[in-house]
Formats: sequence, structure tokens, C-alpha cells
Amino acid sequence: MDKVYKSRRKKRGMNIAYNLLVYFVWFLSTYYTIVVMLSLFLKRKEIFEQHPPLKQHPLVSIIVPAFNEEASIAGTIQSLRELNYPNYEVIILNDGSKDKTSQIVKSKLKGLSNFRFIDNKKNKGKAACLNQGIAVAKGEFFGCMDADSIVEPDIIKKTIPYFRNSKVGAVTVSVETYKPKGILQRVIDLEYVLGLSLFLKIFSFHNAVFVTPGPFTMFRSSVANEIGGFDKESITEDFEIAFRIHKAGYKIRNCIEAKVHTIIPPTFKGIYVQRKRWYTGSLQTIFQHKNMLFRKKYGVFAFLIPFNYSLIVFGLVLFLYASYLGFSKLFENLLHFRYTDYNLFQRLFDWHFDILNYGQVNMLSMTVFLGGILLMIFGLKAAKKSFAKKRFGMLGYPFLFILYQVFCLGSIIAFLRGRKVKWR
Amino acid sequence: MEINKSIFIIAFLITLFLLMLMLLIGSNMNNQRYKYINTKFSELYTSFNEMQTFFLMAETFGDEMACLTFEKKLKEMDKSIWELAVKIDQYRIATEEFQKDKYYLEQKRAFNENEIFYLTLLKNLNERCSFDQSIILFFYQNSADCKKCDDQSFVLDDINKQYDDDVAIFSFDMDLNISTAELLKEYYNVDKLPCIVIENGTFCGIRSKDFVLKKLCELKPSNPLCD
Repeated sequence: MDKVYKSRRKKRGMNIAYNLLVYFVWFLSTYYTIVVMLSLFLKRKEIFEQHPPLKQHPLVSIIVPAFNEEASIAGTIQSLRELNYPNYEVIILNDGSKDKTSQIVKSKLKGLSNFRFIDNKKNKGKAACLNQGIAVAKGEFFGCMDADSIVEPDIIKKTIPYFRNSKVGAVTVSVETYKPKGILQRVIDLEYVLGLSLFLKIFSFHNAVFVTPGPFTMFRSSVANEIGGFDKESITEDFEIAFRIHKAGYKIRNCIEAKVHTIIPPTFKGIYVQRKRWYTGSLQTIFQHKNMLFRKKYGVFAFLIPFNYSLIVFGLVLFLYASYLGFSKLFENLLHFRYTDYNLFQRLFDWHFDILNYGQVNMLSMTVFLGGILLMIFGLKAAKKSFAKKRFGMLGYPFLFILYQVFCLGSIIAFLRGRKVKWR
Repeated sequence: MEINKSIFIIAFLITLFLLMLMLLIGSNMNNQRYKYINTKFSELYTSFNEMQTFFLMAETFGDEMACLTFEKKLKEMDKSIWELAVKIDQYRIATEEFQKDKYYLEQKRAFNENEIFYLTLLKNLNERCSFDQSIILFFYQNSADCKKCDDQSFVLDDINKQYDDDVAIFSFDMDLNISTAELLKEYYNVDKLPCIVIENGTFCGIRSKDFVLKKLCELKPSNPLCD
């Protein structure tokens, strides 16, 4: 009897803990959704900002580190050649590639006086390569660009006006996927349109942009020099530098109307490696700059980061626990059928919907799901994107969300065990 | 350019309002559940009263007159009794978030007590009217302590759905410590849970659908489901 009593007490305790977690995660995610929606509503006319045209054209350097990019580097160079800005230079740095990157770059740069090529034979890492580029760049501003990305011709013209405000240290742009194929890439395309474009625009209204995406971000050279360039120890150098820009008192803005198209890893394994690096690197960076968190002088940024990651971590715990409960219930239900000769279909047709069978926790979960859909719809509308083109991404998003939770769990374990995650 | 910080307070208040709204909807749904169960209970009580009248009629005017009406009523009641037992359990699970199940426990107790009353009447009239319907008694307890009880409940639910008119199932939650249910348990020599009693034959431990149907036909071959 004592055993039964203990088991019931344990079950009751678990039940209460689970429900408290649901209410907590619901509150965090709903609050987050409402802040984003309200910001979107208040600033709906300023999403696409209009700046007076440039009277002067300061020199802009574009730095492109490349490691084994033989498949994409030619396209990247071509897009840089087509930039419609009169005063720019391009610095391409080979980072010890083992493929034909170096040969391709050399052949493509023939006759281009504003393009330079630094052929490093030894791999030193992306951040170190970028720092090498910054050291030789002559521009008042410089853009850091991935060698698997393609910029639109007006990217410099559109981003430079933001630097009229002397406190702006960096300007991020809209990151879109390059010719997405298949459901996975379409879902990532939607994620980029919202997460790496529109949401960064919204966060810029709160001075809380927390990343300077690798595919393309424009920096003020003096700010980059002041903060010491990129952290070569970091595996998410584009996330880490955002912390130091805020720390130095500068702002990061977003120019949603300027676009870069990036190639996403074609395989599932490639996406897993990329995400694991992102998540583990983010955790390392947050730990590295923990003294910035909750400090009023860093504004919303100092609160957004812990809020975001609390939501991710608690959401992950809830997801895992809810999945465990869901699967064990499903398994239990399937096991019932062994006593009735597995007449699954008969039961399927007997099923009747009764909304009263669903408790408060189910209702809360449903509103989070609905909130996510509303955010997607309003987000796409605000970003002036077609629903029809993003329909596959919207349908597939819940599945990718599940995958991300798995990736996230892997990253947290790797971080806690102090495992070194490689860039590639 | 930057948004006023008051947006965070406004968003907090909206979130709080939504939470209140959700709690209000939840409370309303709870009331709807109570209302549903209370309505079903009222219907059952009316039926119980009718049954008593039929019983008295049979006593006074003879079996022939009462049995005809009784058979129709019997079939209606079997279904609603089982469905209500299932519904109470479903609603109890839906509202168990913070273990506010006092209401459901009280309802289950009242339900089980009435069930025993109905069972007694039914057994009596079944013999007098010579109906072919079989009676199954199901003794169980909380699923946390008796995993197999859930399995057995599933099997009986399946049988009830398929042979609704030919079988009357009565379930007794032994966690509720109802003295009359305890008496029945003793009477039928129920020594472990789950346990089913088919036409006075006691079978403890989990029993498959095939087994139950086979025993039903062995013990009451006249039941139409055996055709």
C-alpha cells in the first residue's frame, strides 16, 4: 500500500511539474509572439525604409573567405562583379582549400583591378581569415560575405545609407536561400525569410539584433577595428561579434530591402552539422559574454538573449517530455489492440470528436501553434512575400521544428560535455 | 526610430489577459463537462425510476406486460450506462491538470452505487422475463496501479461497441471503497484485478476479446451474438 501511495504521489508530482512547465512555456512563447506582432504593427510602415540617395560614395571593401568552395565561388564572384556601386574593392581569401577554389578564383579575377586574391595555403579558420581581410581592407566600410552566397547588385547602395547614423556599427541584410529545392530547403527558406530577415528587422527597432549573418553583413571599419575584429576562437563568429558591437555601445541595424541569396547544405547531414555548430557556438558565446546578460545598459539585447534561449531550453524540455508522454500513450493504446486481434480500423471509424475531452493544457498548446501560424502569415505579409510560394515551407515547418529540437538537444549535450564542435 | 519600451509592458498585459481568457474558457469547459455528466445522471435516475415502476408492474400485473416495455428500456440503458462510465473517466483525465478530480470521484461513487442498484433489478427481471442478454461485471482500479485494468477496459469497450444490444457491462472502481461493490467482489471471489464476471463465472487477470466472447456463448448460448 505504501508503494502504491508513493507511486501515486510521484505521479501527481510529475503531473503538476509538467503542467507548470506548459503554462510557463506558453507564457514565454505567447509573450514573445505578442511583442513581435505589436512591433510589426507599430512599425509596419518602416519595415522597408526609404533613405535619401548617397551624394558621396565612400570606398567599400567586400571580404570573402573561401574554403573548398569550387562549386559556388564563380557565382559569388560574378554577383560581386555586377554590383552597381562605383567605389568598391573585393578581397577574396583562400583558407587552405583542398579543391580547385584557388584555380577558379585566379581564372575569374583576370583583368579585374578592384579584386584581390590572398591565397592562404594553410587553413586558419573563417574568423582568422576575415581578420586578415579586415587588416588589408582600405574601405571605410566592409562587407563580410560567404563564398557560397550571391548578392543582389544594389546591396552596397542600400546598406551604406544606414551608416549616416554614426552609432551604427553594422547593417545586416535579408538572407534568402538560393533556388530552394525539395521540402527541407523550402522550409529553411521560410525560416530565413522570417528568422534571418524580418525578425532581425523587428529586433533592430529594439536595438537588439543579436547576429550579423555570415552570408552578408556590412560593417563600419572603425568599429570592427575598435573591438578587435572577429574572435578567431569562436565557431559562430557572426553571433559573437554582435555581442561586442553592443558592448562597445554601437547599434546593429537591418536593411530588409537588400538581399543576399545563400546556398543551403544540400544534405540532411550537412544541415545537421551546420545547426549543431550554430547552437553549440551560440551557447559558448552566451557563456563567454554572460556578464552582459540582464544588464540594463545593454538595453533589450541583454534581456532578449536569455529570454530567447530560456524559451528554447524550456521549450525543448517540454517538447521531450510531451513527446515521451505522447509516444508512451500511443504505444499503450496500440498495445491494447493485442487483446482484440488488432481491429484498428473498426476503432478508427468509431472515433467521435468531443472538444470537452481536451483539457486546458491541450488548449494552451493549440494556441501556441495558432500563434505560430499567425506570426508566419503576418510575417510573410510584412516581408511582402507570396504565400503561394511559401506554402510547402509552411506545411513542412512543424516537421523541421521537431528536427531542430533534436539538433538543439545534441548541441546542448555537446556544450555541457565541453566537446569541441568543428566549423565543418 | 526605436520602439518605446512600454511595448513590453503592453505585451505583458495582453499575454496576461489571454491567459485569463484561456483559464476562463477552461473553467467554462469544466462547467460544460459537469453539466453533461449531471444531465446524463438525471436521465439515468429517471430511467432507474422507470425500472422500479416496471418492476412493481411486473409484481402487480404479471411479467408479460412489464417485460415487453422493459426489454426496450434495458437496451437503451446498457448503452448509456457504459458510455457515461467512459465519459466520466475521459473528462477526469482531461481535467487532471492539477488533480482537481474531487467532483469526478464523487460522481463515480454515485454512479457505481446506482449501477449496483440497476444490476440487482436487471438480474431479477432478466430471469423473470427470460431475456437473452448477457451480464458482465468488471472490477478494476486506477490505471497507475493496474496497467492491465486499462487493457481489460479497452477489450470490454470494444465488445460493448460491437454487441451493444446483447451485452450489459457494469464496471466497479475498487479504489472508491464502495461497500456494496466490496460485497459483490467478495461474493464473486474476486482475488486480483482486473477481474470480470461473466454470467456468474469469475475470470481474474486480463482476458482477450475472443476469450470473453467464447465464455459468453458457453455460459449463455441463447445470446444472439453467439449465432
